[in-house]
Amino acid sequence: MQEALAQALVLLTYYALLGWIRFRRYRVPDLRRLRAEFAALDRGRRAGLLICANHLTLVDSLVIQWALAPGWRLLFRPRWFTWNLPDRHNIASRWWVRVIGYLGKCVPVLRDGPPEEARRTLDKIAFLLARGQSVLIFPEGGRSRIGRVDPDRAMYGVGRMLQEAPGTKVLCVFARGLGQREHSDYPRPGETFFMRLSALAPETTFKGLRADRDLAMQIVGRLGEMEQEYLALASRDR
Amino acid sequence: MDNAAAFAKVVSIIKPFVKNQDAFAQPTDGTRIIEDLGVNSARLVDIILAFEDEFGIEVDDDSADRVRTLGDAVQMILRKTAPAH
Repeated sequence: MQEALAQALVLLTYYALLGWIRFRRYRVPDLRRLRAEFAALDRGRRAGLLICANHLTLVDSLVIQWALAPGWRLLFRPRWFTWNLPDRHNIASRWWVRVIGYLGKCVPVLRDGPPEEARRTLDKIAFLLARGQSVLIFPEGGRSRIGRVDPDRAMYGVGRMLQEAPGTKVLCVFARGLGQREHSDYPRPGETFFMRLSALAPETTFKGLRADRDLAMQIVGRLGEMEQEYLALASRDR
Repeated sequence: MDNAAAFAKVVSIIKPFVKNQDAFAQPTDGTRIIEDLGVNSARLVDIILAFEDEFGIEVDDDSADRVRTLGDAVQMILRKTAPAH
């Protein structure tokens, strides 16, 4: 039901997002190249796609969704309209935020909730991934408090998702505003984003919880490597 | 291993992950690991894996999900380290 309604209104949702992005004057300098790269990486995919990104602001998922594909492509490729997993506390505050979240394909999660709640969330995500959908997740759990990719905050749920939906593809996305020093609610107005994609095929010889951790740490490790690339470029340009 | 020894071991393993040291000052069987001690769910996985290494046991996902208090952890460890009859 949520998927059908979100897809029916995808153009409305996307262009409302685009309007907000324009209002905030956000830009990605190599947007065309990024979208072409995403399209190439996703070509022929039938399995689910887990998009794993670093996390510094409340609107990272919106900026990433905008950057990966134009609205008209979402109309023809519903699987590129990603599902999101916001903290329930961030989305439950006002009715209109809940409506936007529903139409934006959000599955609210209760962070550090009881195991039954985590189980229900994992079941939903495994179901979506098994149907070839894309799910955007922040493996650090919340916005990094150190302004960098933080392996100490890594949540292992991403590893569990990969185990429960075998064959799922992983795409790491590193996105960061050039003026972003630490975590914040929003990027500064007029922000220019550095954004890179990297396909990853994490593997593990472990089982159970140890496998969850191993897989999650490989993903967070790749995000850390992408951040190093950003930092090297940033210091070179300074 | 008796209950007190297992409890002491559990407390020493959990200590580095505790955010709420006040609640950890007088730990009891009923102390809740996430809610009272401020341990997040990913670090709880680290703790369970540390139990596996320390006690030479294997903890499946369902057993791990049932560990909510220090007492739950102790009972799980005692069960899994008990000699088979």
